[in-house]
Formats: sequence, C-alpha cells, structure tokens
Amino acid sequence: MAANSLEAVITVPSYNGPPGGSRGSKLVAVMSGPFSTASNPAGVLNLTQIPQFVAYLRIQVHPGQHGKVALASAILFDYPNAADAAFAELWPNYDGSMDNGSSDTWIMQDVNWQNTINLADIYVYPEIWGETPLVTAYQLV
Amino acid sequence: MSMLVMSPTDLGPVLVSGAPVPLLSHSWMVTKLTIKPKLGQWSKILVGGPDLLPDESNAMAVLYPVPNGGEADAFSVQDPNGQNSIDISQIYVYATIPGDTPLADSFYYRTV
Repeated sequence: MAANSLEAVITVPSYNGPPGGSRGSKLVAVMSGPFSTASNPAGVLNLTQIPQFVAYLRIQVHPGQHGKVALASAILFDYPNAADAAFAELWPNYDGSMDNGSSDTWIMQDVNWQNTINLADIYVYPEIWGETPLVTAYQLV
Repeated sequence: MSMLVMSPTDLGPVLVSGAPVPLLSHSWMVTKLTIKPKLGQWSKILVGGPDLLPDESNAMAVLYPVPNGGEADAFSVQDPNGQNSIDISQIYVYATIPGDTPLADSFYYRTV
C-alpha cells in the first residue's frame, strides 16, 4: 500500500462539539449504551456521521448477544466483504462462561486526554444484523 | 483552522504466507498499535521485530487464538506521550498456519 493512499482519507469540513486536539476540563459522555447499525445498508455504520472528536472510546460486545463485532476505518468500502477490512474483531461471550464473563472490548484513548479520536472514522459492523455493541465515548469540554 | 486528530491506519488484516512479514513495507509512524489473532482462525500469532523467527525466537509476544469466545489475546503498545514513535514497518508478525490474517490496529496523530 502506498503511503499517499494512507494519507488521503480525511478532510474535516465541519464537526460537532470541540475541535480536534482540544482539551477541556470536564469529562462528558457523548455516547453511551447500545449502538444500533440496523438502519444502514449491510448493517455497517460509523459512530457519527458528522465528525466529533473524543478523548476516550470504548466498544464492547453486548453481553448476551451471539455475533462478533468488526471495527474498521473507511477502508471497508474498498472491500467486497466489509468484515475482511476490519482492524479489530470482538468476540462474543454470550453466556458469560469464558474468561470469568469478560466481554471482548476495544479501547482507544488519547494519552493526553485531548479530543483527537474522530467518531466518524470508526465503522461498526455486527456480524448478526440488529445486534447492538455497547459504545461509550468521553469528551473533555 | 488546523486540528490534531488521531486516525486509523488503513491496514486491514495482514496476510502471512509462511514467513514473518512486516506490517507495512515502508516506514510508517504510529502512536498506538494492537495486534490480535483473527477470530475463527487457528494460528498462534508471533509478534516481533525484523529478527523474529518462526520458532518463536525473538518474539515480543505470542498470541493464542480464541476458539470459544470471551476476551481475545492481544499485543498492544502506545506511546505514553502521544507521539508517533512506533514504526510499524519494524514490527513483524508470523502466523503458524500459512494464509492466516492477524489483525493489526494502529492509530497515528495527524493535523488536518
């Protein structure tokens, strides 16, 4: 893959909330709870459609649900099967029998707690249509 | 106005054909890197530098597959000062079953 193709993805025409790289003084949850992608074609949806920058993002397989959850960047649209483009896949633990009940969880945080993680860059693809991974995003405002 | 953002590197699954391979063929600096076995595949995944060997010599991490669900094995490293200091062309992976595709998840800072 050429370096310039890695660079070519993002422009930020507008966004919600604080700008990228900002760091406020109060931690606010801007997303929490089950996240449904069911309304979108193929059940793939980015976390927000308008860029929004957060300092911490956590995505967890919903305990009790059966499908794995794929996470990807916009590169997934270059693949015939979105799951083949995932940078992470989270395994279900539907009956809590594995790993003392721990669900597979993906966490990304800015070490300086700056709002640098663009929710619009993260696409979620549950293997089973209609399942709802748990998403938590914190922003410092 | 320019903004600092942390963006995913578009790597996707990394195909390992039978020898350790770098995550990328050219230098690319990131601030966070995570490598996990691809769920449903049965390879043990070795992570190392350019001197990684298939017999686990010089392995930084050896990751087990997750056959039955739960928390997946992972190797993760992040620059504690928020710098792009990890060159992923110097990180090699090896899968014990040729053709398996471990997942590499990396993010880097950029100004947009």
